[in-house]
Amino acid sequence: MNASILEITVIIFNSLFFIFTIFAIASYTILAIISAFETVEYMKKNSFVNYNEILSSIISPSISIIAPAFNESLSIIENVRSLLSSHYANYDVIIVNDGSTDDSLEKLINAYNLVKIDFLINEKLPTKPIRNGVYKSINPAFEKLTVVDKENGGKADALNMGLNISKNSYVLCIDVDCLLLEDALQKMIKPFLEVSDEKIIATGGVLRVANSCSIKDGKLLDINLPKKMIERAQILEYLRAFLLGRMAWSRLNGLLVISGAFGMFDKKIVIEVGGYDTNTVGEDMELIVRMRKYMEEKKEKYRVGYIPDPLCWTEAPDTYKTLISQRNRWTRGTIETLRKHRKVGFNPKYGALGLLSYPYWFFFERLAPVIEVFGILYFIFLIVLDDVRWDYTFAFISAAYLFTVLFTILAIFSEELTYHQYKKKGTGIKLLITSFLEPFISHPFILYAAITGNVDYYLKKEKGWGKMIRRGFL
Amino acid sequence: MEIYQNLIEYFENTPTIIQVVWIMSCVFFASIVILTIYLKFLRSHLRKNEMTVAEYQKEYESDLIAYLYSGNEEEEISTEQQIIIDKLKNCSADKFKRRIIVSTLLRLRNEISGEMAESIQKLYFQTKLVDYALARLKSKKWHIIATAIRELRQLQVKEVYDEVIAFVIHPKKEIQKEVQLYLVTLFNFKGLEFLNIIETPLSEWNQIQLLEVLQRFDDQELPEITPWLRSTNDSVVIFALKLAKIYNQFEVKDTLLELLSHQNKNIRIDAINVLAQLQVIEAKNILKSKFNDLSKEEQYAFLKLLENLYEISDEAFLLENIINEDFEIKFATLKILKTLRC
Repeated sequence: MNASILEITVIIFNSLFFIFTIFAIASYTILAIISAFETVEYMKKNSFVNYNEILSSIISPSISIIAPAFNESLSIIENVRSLLSSHYANYDVIIVNDGSTDDSLEKLINAYNLVKIDFLINEKLPTKPIRNGVYKSINPAFEKLTVVDKENGGKADALNMGLNISKNSYVLCIDVDCLLLEDALQKMIKPFLEVSDEKIIATGGVLRVANSCSIKDGKLLDINLPKKMIERAQILEYLRAFLLGRMAWSRLNGLLVISGAFGMFDKKIVIEVGGYDTNTVGEDMELIVRMRKYMEEKKEKYRVGYIPDPLCWTEAPDTYKTLISQRNRWTRGTIETLRKHRKVGFNPKYGALGLLSYPYWFFFERLAPVIEVFGILYFIFLIVLDDVRWDYTFAFISAAYLFTVLFTILAIFSEELTYHQYKKKGTGIKLLITSFLEPFISHPFILYAAITGNVDYYLKKEKGWGKMIRRGFL
Repeated sequence: MEIYQNLIEYFENTPTIIQVVWIMSCVFFASIVILTIYLKFLRSHLRKNEMTVAEYQKEYESDLIAYLYSGNEEEEISTEQQIIIDKLKNCSADKFKRRIIVSTLLRLRNEISGEMAESIQKLYFQTKLVDYALARLKSKKWHIIATAIRELRQLQVKEVYDEVIAFVIHPKKEIQKEVQLYLVTLFNFKGLEFLNIIETPLSEWNQIQLLEVLQRFDDQELPEITPWLRSTNDSVVIFALKLAKIYNQFEVKDTLLELLSHQNKNIRIDAINVLAQLQVIEAKNILKSKFNDLSKEEQYAFLKLLENLYEISDEAFLLENIINEDFEIKFATLKILKTLRC
């Protein structure tokens, strides 16, 4: 009797794991196919667009770049210079110094000839109060720059302050350490202006890994592949996520996340939904889900746009410690957002958001690491029971491994056929080798981070954002 | 051989599900091998391609410069020019080379002006490149048609107006956009006649591009815009409002006042902004009388208008609104009141 219960349990678990794997492979394959169609369409549409015509136009819409900064003294001058070097005509830059304890503010004051000004803030979103004040430059060369010094309240709070300060219709929220290419603003604003039969509420951009790239005076001069495997693995991860995953979700109008490091928003809607949530570490994803939910409830046709061009370059973690800390935070952010908006999940009232995006994120982002660890434990359990068919095991592991490698190679292909950023000889083979090694050199740590993220979330550990050690650009 | 037989035997004796997994593994493995080899080929091809393009560009650029400087007053086409024309004509038969020749022509066309620019255009006809562009207009693929129209626009080929205008109501908006830009770039304000017939929305992106093109012309004589302000296509009305604002069309004041009651809120807001710029005092009285019925955005726009058109008689209205719950209304009201009392 006991034996048969055990046998039945084993069969049930085997079947569940098998079904999950088949669904995962099928969904990734479908996403890859959709992204291929979307990429071709995007390249066709944008191959003959003249972005210069909108650059100097007096009627081009105004954009505010909002960049929160906390203890960024080491690189803030260079980073602000990069943000000020956009070719777009109608924009300003708002740096929100979020209670930095270093000399960031003093450095900004000296470098950009800032003086304190009288500024009446329309507090549409509640934030921590202003600390020293609002600063503008007396040098006309930096007239687009505004620096706000406020008490520390975290990234979301700083972004909300920026939203209160901004007088423009569109805002680009960006990490201050990101390198923005000169044509980024006109490319990001395009979806908002070219679509007239539905409302574009936000546009997400691609993040590229800037480690080892040479950068001077806020400009990207040379793209190099980093030496460290952990950095290379993240390049592949970003290619997969942005060129295959998000490209496909954009086609399905199911994008659930826009990177907090680089995203443009319709300010009016962000304010209407209450701005960034200061009680989550996943404020970027949470805001998009809330904005979508709001539009669904208003029954207005809307879309979250997506620009696959490599416009924003960022420094990726180069140690396992920082990588784990970052991914731990991402996991907690995902759990918090999905939990907060659980009403949306599997709810036909919310259309594709409830029936497609949410379930996908729930099963293949939220639950995937948990199921994977559970699978490993189950496998150990079967070994203890001496109930393992090693030839079957080998068949399944090789299929899973080869699919992962194949999917990564498809992402490399997508990159080569579209933007071909890693041009140097020998880079292709290095990327290929990394795609074979990635499941061993990076995945276990990401899995570990996801599990600790779950543990931290459920044990209510106050971990906040963690610290990213910046090396600065070369 | 024995290993192979053992494998076959093993495969035949395993359950179907495991057979499927093995087959999947084999398919994945084969795909990886094929893609790996192809990736190597692709990267080499892309690198080589870039170098070839650069070489051809350099070659054609020097040919074009030679063409521009080898003309003489006695002959319409000098011998040296004819040699270059023949060479480019031959090269144009190849699609790859044709694309490079056209892009080089365009780049050069943008860098020079006057007679030389006209010579480039003449060369475009002499090398029969224009025929290739016209042939592309017959393509079934929308992006090929769109790029052909763009090329004809950039090389200022007015002669193909009839062929291009046929696409003005094409279902693909990218083609429509290129046609609109062609018309406006080549025929100035006269090209705006498409506004009379378009039924699809004219996106904000298109509007900005068209206005940018229009502002480059010396002749800034705007045609009658009233029919566009009364268009049933809301985007045409919005575009006409932009024209009215940029070109200070005080003549259409009455139509603008009518638009204050338009059913589209965005049109009403834009109309207020234009009236503010034109300083139409009648607008102030109309809007003030129905201030509380206006949407928030209209109220903000009206207060902007009032900033330029306030009078002592507006004081009571302003005082009424300094206690308005909306921060921006309160702020704008106080600002005007402060100026009024100074």
